[in-house]
Amino acid sequence: MMAVMTRWWAVAVWFAAASAALASGSLSAQDGDALGQVTYERWCAGCHGLDGTGDGPGAGYMLPRPRDFTQALYQIRTTASGDLPTDDDILAIIDRGMPGTTMPGWEALLSNDEREALVQYLKTFSRFFSADEIPQPLEFSRATRSNADVLAEGERLFREVADCAACHGDGGRGDGESSPALVDDGDFPIPAADLTENWLFNGGGEAEDIYRRLLTGLDGTPMPSLADVITAGVITDEQLWAIAHYVRSLSPDNPPGITEVVRGVLFEDAPLPSSVDDEAWDEIEGAYLPLAGQIIVMPRWFHPRVDGVWVQAAHDGETVAVRVSWSDPNNSPDPEWADWKSQVIALMQPKEGDPPDEGPTPDQLVVQFPMQMPEGMERPFFLRGDNRRPVYIWQWQSDRDGALEGEARGIGTEAFLSGGQDLTVDASHADGQWQVMFTRPLVTEDENDLDFVIGEAIPMALFAWDGDNGESGTRGAVSSWYFLFLEEATPATVFVAPALAMILTAALGFLVVGRAQKRERQSGKIKSETPNS
Amino acid sequence: MGKYLKHPLGQAGVVLFLAYLLFDFGIAYIPPLFGIASAPIPNSVLLQYLITVSVGILIWVSDNEARWAEFKEPMHRVMVDPDLKTARNSLMVLIPILVALMTFSQVRPTVAAPTTLRSIHPAPPGRIDFQGTTLELGSLQNPLRSRGSMEEHYEEGKRVYYENCIACHGDGLDGQGHYAHAFSPVPVSFQDIGTIAQLTESYVFWRVAKGGPGLPNEGAPWNSAMPAWEDFLTQDEIWSVIIFLYEQAGHEPRTFEEEGGEGEVE
Repeated sequence: MMAVMTRWWAVAVWFAAASAALASGSLSAQDGDALGQVTYERWCAGCHGLDGTGDGPGAGYMLPRPRDFTQALYQIRTTASGDLPTDDDILAIIDRGMPGTTMPGWEALLSNDEREALVQYLKTFSRFFSADEIPQPLEFSRATRSNADVLAEGERLFREVADCAACHGDGGRGDGESSPALVDDGDFPIPAADLTENWLFNGGGEAEDIYRRLLTGLDGTPMPSLADVITAGVITDEQLWAIAHYVRSLSPDNPPGITEVVRGVLFEDAPLPSSVDDEAWDEIEGAYLPLAGQIIVMPRWFHPRVDGVWVQAAHDGETVAVRVSWSDPNNSPDPEWADWKSQVIALMQPKEGDPPDEGPTPDQLVVQFPMQMPEGMERPFFLRGDNRRPVYIWQWQSDRDGALEGEARGIGTEAFLSGGQDLTVDASHADGQWQVMFTRPLVTEDENDLDFVIGEAIPMALFAWDGDNGESGTRGAVSSWYFLFLEEATPATVFVAPALAMILTAALGFLVVGRAQKRERQSGKIKSETPNS
Repeated sequence: MGKYLKHPLGQAGVVLFLAYLLFDFGIAYIPPLFGIASAPIPNSVLLQYLITVSVGILIWVSDNEARWAEFKEPMHRVMVDPDLKTARNSLMVLIPILVALMTFSQVRPTVAAPTTLRSIHPAPPGRIDFQGTTLELGSLQNPLRSRGSMEEHYEEGKRVYYENCIACHGDGLDGQGHYAHAFSPVPVSFQDIGTIAQLTESYVFWRVAKGGPGLPNEGAPWNSAMPAWEDFLTQDEIWSVIIFLYEQAGHEPRTFEEEGGEGEVE
């Protein structure tokens, strides 16, 4: 109740402040400059630097690096490739941020005046902006409708005509043959966007946004504008829309919500999926679990390639099967990515202790559970357990057949069993995606590992490494605890309580109505008899 | 329409419905229109609020004999009026079915995460060991506030924050860094008046220095992704980042003098 009251109190204070601000009138130009500078130095300089060159104290921990405003290169614009952005373009980036990068949206954090003053202040960092030449936005055609034919046409153009697949790959996961060599205008390695995750597109993930990026290009990155291709008559504007619709169709209709629980579907009659690409998996709903860089123990890692994994699970009462899928452009170690790897390591290595292992590093996945089902709410520490509460882990890596079961009491203490393995694994890498399926009996003879219980939430965490992105050891992507819940068959006793409740309610209803009617009849009799007597 | 609104039963229904809208949607969506963060209230709290409102409505309708009679009349009529037999019979079937469905939704096996009860600001220990020295938290003051230039401390704190904290706590100190969505519990928003604004600097020092692993059990240390910064930062770096947090978020640290004469702290 207190919290609610304080919120309403805050609304009242805001009203007072807003009315005072309105009464004082809008800002003069000079106040605007000062406000822009103050706002910039307070909120932006930490990454973009006091002089706007993109070298603030936070910059070394980010890739892509923060924008260098002296270059006046803005990716997300409504203007032609090579042109400066409009004021509204800059404001839109400030407001919405750049999804998929470290740039947040500021709309909720800064006032209108502050954000508009920032736009003007950012332009002062570059001599390219002048008051005489006002950049003009392109005229964008209206969206065409999408259907199966349009998508098929879009796919053909994507692969064969516009050459998108050269960088983004046939499946759109950023695994095209040119992708290991891509650098931006600052000579930093830049991945080709994973087009299956439209919620992370820098300039927005809807077909309209994609169409605009295709037409304007992303200046400062290897993503070109396709305007010339249209002018040259190679494709039409309508075909550009087809590409946009096709790219949009590579991602889910809605960005995945955050689910805490992965449902292990019960296979009562049908057999469990027997391989990683078994069609039975297509029927099982996946949960998307976001991952983040490991920044809890040294050496930390601020640039994980794997930003999330899809997890599916099934069981038949005897065996559990778990399939984990994630985008990764290549099967590490891969010599074509060696340059990429050394560049990323060199760029993401500020003050982070021992340098990473030289030599080839594989892709890896660890699925982690508590060693024993926790009593009450206590669990092992999510990052590989601790001394008191160890964790039980499944480890797979791309350069070794099979998977290992092991235990850990803290990061770096992993110990794997070499014999008596109950775990089997099947993995495949195709079109920029890893899929790894684990199967294990629910209960094993080994007393030291977890027995999977049906009908209870089993804590589960996942960790992933892209070896050719410079990841190994503590340098990788982590998740906090999620849960695996193996469905139980609905027991018949579940229907007893509802049936009882229904009978009781009906009986009570009859009783109340019956009494009311009885009383009504009696009083009715009295009333009707009164005049006669 | 007007006829129903003049009837106490209609009025009671409207009040209850408006209260429901206000609690379920208003609390979540109205404050954000004014730039104030808010969140939906949980269903259990919603139920409590609606019960409170219902009790209020019942007190109001039963406060006056005539109104009470008028309030009951339609319900009574449904039970006895021969003309309303269809409505009566439908209700006699529908209500038990509804009860059965509600009961089923309660008892059916659900796939749900266990609720974690977690104390957000658990009681701190009396003293902590920091890189080999013992610090008494009760009397611990931020030494930088009485030494050197505050501007330099702020800039130093900003460096520490941007090198270490923004990935989770965000450039805007709103707990919305680019890693925030990957962790549960979510990183703290320092803008929120329920966090550093109601804590002393020594408490914040303890939380920063010892991180998630240093929480007592009621704080669910196994879930927290907050690192123990004593492994990364010096004492002065932590104090400077604390100065930065308060300055940047526009909050004042809580001090014991404000609490009205308690003054001395053990």
